[in-house]
Formats: sequence, C-alpha cells, structure tokens
Amino acid sequence: MPDSRLLLQDAPNKRALLLGNEAIARGILEAGISVVTTYPGTPASEIADSISEIAAEAGVYMEYSINEMVAVEVAAATANCGVRSLSAMKHVGLNVAADALMTLAYMGVKGGCVIVTADDPECYSSQNEQDNRFYALLANLPCLEPSNAQEAKDMTVSAVEISEKLELPVLLRTTTRVSHTRGPVTYGKLTKPSLKGEFVRDIKRMNLVPANSRPMHTVLLTKAEKAKEISETSPYNTIVRRSKSGKLGVISASAAFNYAMEAIDALDLDASILKLGMTHPLPEKLIGTFLRKHKKIVVVEELEPYLEMQIKAIAKDYAPNVKIYGKMGTLYFPRDGELSTRAVVIGLAKITRRKLPIDLKEIDRKYAEVLKDLPRRPPILCAGCPHRATFYVIRKATDGKAVYPNDIGCYALGFAPPLSIGDGFLCMGSSVSMAQGISKVTGRDTIGIIGDSTFFHAAIPGLINAVYNNHKITLAVLDNQATAMTGHQPHPGTGVTGMGVPTEKVLIEKVAEGCGVKFVRVVDPFKVKEATAVLKEALQHSGPSVVVFRSPCALMVVRDRRRKGAKIMVCKITEECTNCMACIKLLGCPALVLVDGKASINETLCIGCGLCASVCPYQAIKCEEIG
Amino acid sequence: MKGFNIVLTGVGGQGILLAAEILGTAALKEGLNVRVSEIHGMAQRGGAVVSNVRIGENVLAPTFLDGKADILLGFEPLETLRSLNFASEKTIIIMSDERITPTELTAKKMEYPSLKEITNKICSFTKNIIIVEAAKLAKEAGNILTENVVLIGALAATKKIPVKDESILEALKELVPTKHLGTNIKAFKLGYEYAQKYKLKH
Repeated sequence: MPDSRLLLQDAPNKRALLLGNEAIARGILEAGISVVTTYPGTPASEIADSISEIAAEAGVYMEYSINEMVAVEVAAATANCGVRSLSAMKHVGLNVAADALMTLAYMGVKGGCVIVTADDPECYSSQNEQDNRFYALLANLPCLEPSNAQEAKDMTVSAVEISEKLELPVLLRTTTRVSHTRGPVTYGKLTKPSLKGEFVRDIKRMNLVPANSRPMHTVLLTKAEKAKEISETSPYNTIVRRSKSGKLGVISASAAFNYAMEAIDALDLDASILKLGMTHPLPEKLIGTFLRKHKKIVVVEELEPYLEMQIKAIAKDYAPNVKIYGKMGTLYFPRDGELSTRAVVIGLAKITRRKLPIDLKEIDRKYAEVLKDLPRRPPILCAGCPHRATFYVIRKATDGKAVYPNDIGCYALGFAPPLSIGDGFLCMGSSVSMAQGISKVTGRDTIGIIGDSTFFHAAIPGLINAVYNNHKITLAVLDNQATAMTGHQPHPGTGVTGMGVPTEKVLIEKVAEGCGVKFVRVVDPFKVKEATAVLKEALQHSGPSVVVFRSPCALMVVRDRRRKGAKIMVCKITEECTNCMACIKLLGCPALVLVDGKASINETLCIGCGLCASVCPYQAIKCEEIG
Repeated sequence: MKGFNIVLTGVGGQGILLAAEILGTAALKEGLNVRVSEIHGMAQRGGAVVSNVRIGENVLAPTFLDGKADILLGFEPLETLRSLNFASEKTIIIMSDERITPTELTAKKMEYPSLKEITNKICSFTKNIIIVEAAKLAKEAGNILTENVVLIGALAATKKIPVKDESILEALKELVPTKHLGTNIKAFKLGYEYAQKYKLKH
C-alpha cells in the first residue's frame, strides 16, 4: 500500500492510481466525514486502515470498534449529533450490525452517515457470498454501488449528500473486485472535518418505543419515495449506450457492468446499456421506459437476482397486458401497520369494485367524535418500579443536563415526563455505544441506560469498546433481577436456569470490572441520597464508569408477597399535605392522582415503595401495611 | 365473518388476557371453534390493552371488523370509549366503573371525566350499557384482583354468549389457582346477579 499521507493532498483534479478502498478513504476526506468506525474484515479493511494512518493529521476520529454493531451504533450516534460519519465492514459484518441498522433507518440521521458493506463473491476470504443489496431492500435504505475506484470515491461523497438530504443512512456496497482493484481516480476538493456536534433531544424520532416507531415507519416510507426521485435522476443511473435497432437492452450494475461491456464489445452486439449505480431504490421510470424501447432485455449482475427480480416486477407494470395487484405499484394494501380484516376488506372492495359490507365512514365519523379529547394511555413504569427511583436519581445528579441514550426494556419508558430520562435507542446494547459517539462529539456528560438482561445480551462488547477507546461515559445498569418486560424470565444475573435449576450467578459489577472499568459501584435506587452521590462521583471519573442500580421489579415484589400471604404496603397522604404537588410533578407514578383537586394515592395500584415519601418536602406521606 | 365477537378492553394489569383465556377455554370445552387474540409485552405496563375473543364455526381471523362486536367488555371506562369502533347499536356494553387515571390527565392537572360524560359518548353507538361496580363486588368477593371474573359473571348473565355458565365455571377451575377458586366463583356470582337486575334496551 502506498503512503496513505498521499490521500491528504489538497490537489483537486490530481489523478492517482488508487485501490477501491483507498478511493473510499479519499472520499471520506473529500466529504468531510469526521468519524470513522470499523470492525476489520476483508475486503473492507483498507478503508479504515488508510484513515487510521492519517486520522490525527486529518482531524478525523477513527476507532476499531469491538464489533460491527458497536461500530454502526457509534457512527449513528455521532451522525445524530450532526457530525458526518462512516462505518465500514465486510458483508457478514453487516449481519452483526443488522439489529442496529434496521432501526437506524426509522430513526434517521442529521449528519451524513454512510455504512460500507464490502461483499465477497466467490468467497475469496469469507464463509459465504451473501448479496447485501437485500439489506437496502429490507431496511428501505438508499444503496450506491460503485463499479470502479473513481466511482468508489465519488459515491462516498454522494452517499453523504444523499444521506443528509434524506436524513437517512446510505449503504455503499462494494464487492471484492471493486474494493481490491486499482484504477485512476481524479481528486476533488478536501472538506475540513468537524468533530463538534450537538445533541438535540428528539424523542419522537429517536426513542423508538412502538408508539413512535409506527409513525417513523411511515416517515421512512416517505423518505424512500424521495429516494426514488433521486434515483430516477441520479447520474449514476444512466443509459451509457443506445442501440441502433432497439432489439437488445442490457441492464447491469457494480463490477458486473464492466464484464458486460467487454462481452458486448467482444461479441459485437448492437445493444443499449443501462448502467445502475444507485441500486436501491431503483429508478423505476427510467427502467420502465428502457424496457418499453427494447424487445429483449438482459440483466447482468453478480450473485442474487436482486435487480432482475425487481425489473421483472417493473416490467409487469409497464407491460399493458399484465396486471399485478398488491403492494407493488398501486398500494391496494398498506405497507405500514398491521394488516387487519378492515384493511383487507377495503383493499378487496377496491380491486373488485364492490360495496363495503358495513358503513365504515359512519363508524369512523362517530369514533372520531369519541376520540376527541380522549387522553392517551401509553405504557408507563408501574407504581413502585425501581427504575422510577433510578431515573429520579439520575435527574437529581445531573439536573437533566446530561445526554441519556437508553436501551430496549421497561426502562425505555423513562423518557416520558416528568422524569424525562432517555434520549433514544436503536437496539439491544445501543445505549452504551451510542453514549460513546455522543460523548465523543459533544463533550457532554453522557449516561447510557441499560437493564440487567440487556446488559448480558449486548452491552459487554460496547463496554469493552468504551474501555479500549477510553470513552468518558457512565453506564447506569438498571438491575431489577429479571428480564422484566417480557415476563420475568431469568438471565445470568439471576442464578436460575430456564429449567428452574439454581446456577452460577454472574455479577454485572464483576463483568464490568473484568472488562477493565475502573469505577464500578452498586447502589439501591430507593436510597436516593446515597445513590445520587455515587452517580455524581461516577460522572467525575475520567474514563468509563459503571453504576449498578439494584432493586427487584415491583411486579415480582408484589407477586412474591402475595404468594407468601404477606401484607402489601401502601403509601398514604397525611394531614400535613399542603397540596404542593411535588410528588405528582416529580415522579409520574400512576398511583398518584388528583381527586377533587387534591393529590391522592390509589390504593389498588400503590405497593408502598416509598419514593413519593422520600421526595415529599413536608413529610406528609407515610407507608403502612394493609391486608 | 360471522361468529360471536367479544372485545375486551382495559388497562394492563387488570387481568384482561386471563379473562379472554377463560372465555376461550369455555368455548373450547363445548367443542366450539374459537380465536383469542392477545397482545403481550409493552402494552401490559399500565398501557391500553385490547383482546378479541371470537367464537363460531367459520371464524378464522384473530380480530374482527369495526362495528361487529356482539359484546364489549370494558374493564375501564376511558378504555371502553377507545374500543367503541367495534360497537354498533346491537352491541351490548358491559363496563366496569373502576377508573384508572391516565398519567397524562394527572400531568395536565385534569380530573377524570364523569361517568355521565362517558355514557353519553357510548350512547352515540349503543344504548345497551350495563355498568358494573366491579371493584366493589370484587372486594366483596374477597379479592380486588377478581374484577375480571366479576365482569365475566355479568357477561354470562346476559345469556348472549353461546357458551353455558357451567363451561365458564369449568374454565375458571382450570385457570385460576386452587386457593383462589372460592373467591373467584363468588366474584362470578356477584357479577352475574348484578347484571341480571339490569334490563337491556332491545
């Protein structure tokens, strides 16, 4: 490999012979991409390796992340702070990152975010030869496919532009023969990177609880429609040759395009050639018109019939005698939301031009009347939930000024007011790695929030990543001693197997210490003062720190008491109450309600956790046992 | 499409899914074809929960069309409103008066709407409403947690569901822990007697 410093030359129009991967590295510098993350894998490795050699000089932050998912999460987080980022991996690496990728499509980005997937047809250095263009199709993400080094560089820059225009991550898909082929590359201008980002809380977009995910799916589909327009006029999707007779048309993309061109010439064929560089979404009109103008169409591509499948579908829309009903072309049935008897009835009625069996319009009208002013009832933290205490502690210790990426589990609900702790999440384990990306480019106190089961599932690589790359973050592990959200299943921290057999208990604090975290503490979230002091100390620590908030799930506590025939505790408001509403304002506990304008406690819901008693400034709440 | 359709609606933690299971099990005991749809997970954490129970030979889909509920079993008044799209003038609504204030209302310093306002809204769909003092009756039966069975008792009393009372009691025996069975049977009876006194308007 030549000296990577040559990539830093501020020499527009200079021509250099670059490896496809080096060209992407040059593209990174031209695009002003400031954060590069990777997990090395052939044929992707030289992208980040080239950057690694010059990162400090170029003003770029790069890291070898612990795995591909962490790499994508860190890149996604920085891009959500408005900082341009790129994450590079080999094709099978995207399988590891897929959990994050699929939801990142919903969340979107603010700064450009490019995910490079380097595929390996013929398995030169891989265990399979999967075609990752299907990830673009699956996730509804734009996909660019370079066919040579020049395009590899240009498309890196274009990918950033498209990403920012659509606020979507963009896949840059290469194959071995593109990544590892040298070709002439004409340089463009360098863009100065900026590692200064800003995190703006945007709960509806970033906190993908079901209620937010549903509309974000619709948003994604809208963005995908816009991407289609971009694809339609993209200079990368173009007819490179027109035949005289109009008999034969060839459609190709990526490395396969090069083979197709040479073969056509070798055979002296009179063919029109449509070259596709943006292969998701496909330029339907361009393809459709191209199909109409020819008698025969040949699709030349490598691996799966990804293009062919879609082009055949397009052909049916453009051919007069074939009609296809469904979700392609005309939307007879919804592409978002759950399919229902209603949706099917409406769709079928349209297709067959029948009348509906029931006056749905009238029902909708009356129902809209009923829904008017009806308060919503989203899921919330239960009365007595120890997470509420933890969130209260976090708010107290940080005055709400930190950034709080969270994770998948009951605690995802902590974003709701009044606690309002939690700024978004992608997938299991994303809290710890997104915290690193955010802390890196904003310099703010960042507290990742994760549950005990999720910690074991997916946080350990992220935590090692924080130690290895010395990210200054705090991880709050909300240990309620069960996989509570899904029904209290055991996990390695509970000391019971799925068979109900006692087993070795794996302690979160020991795992954290083993990962190399120097500051690890365990606290009881209901001991508000003590826990707050410990968390403040953790935030002062110079490297990554972990605080385990340990207290069992409220539902388990009540269930165990009932099983044992023990009494249930409840809190009661005494005469000292001045109706200052502190309990209601601070905690958002469902057992705390207004009755005739006064703060009151619903005895059916209360389990006597006493958190409200500890926040009451007048000591007007007492806990007692009931039968 | 035909079949007997019940929609159960309320708040996570009220025993809605168990109630649906009891009804489904009872139907199965009589050799009837049945579908019970449930939503688990996040919806249960104090959020709105809806379950559909469908009984009938040709029933295939887990959920049914708007306006096609024979019975709407409302565990909570506001949630009863939220499921009114399933109701028509033929629907019988059996609603608990037990109110669970959504935190959104508390946060906005608003109080829960009156039962009269709620029944007025229901009347735009159907006049067949049985309001059950489920919490009071459950306490009387010996356990506040038996509200769901009180409502099932009220449902049985309407004699609309194509399942015998005995089958429901059999299903109860099967699904409720033995030590709580007595309390549950009492809850069923209290709900039953309560609804029997109601005169439906059709």
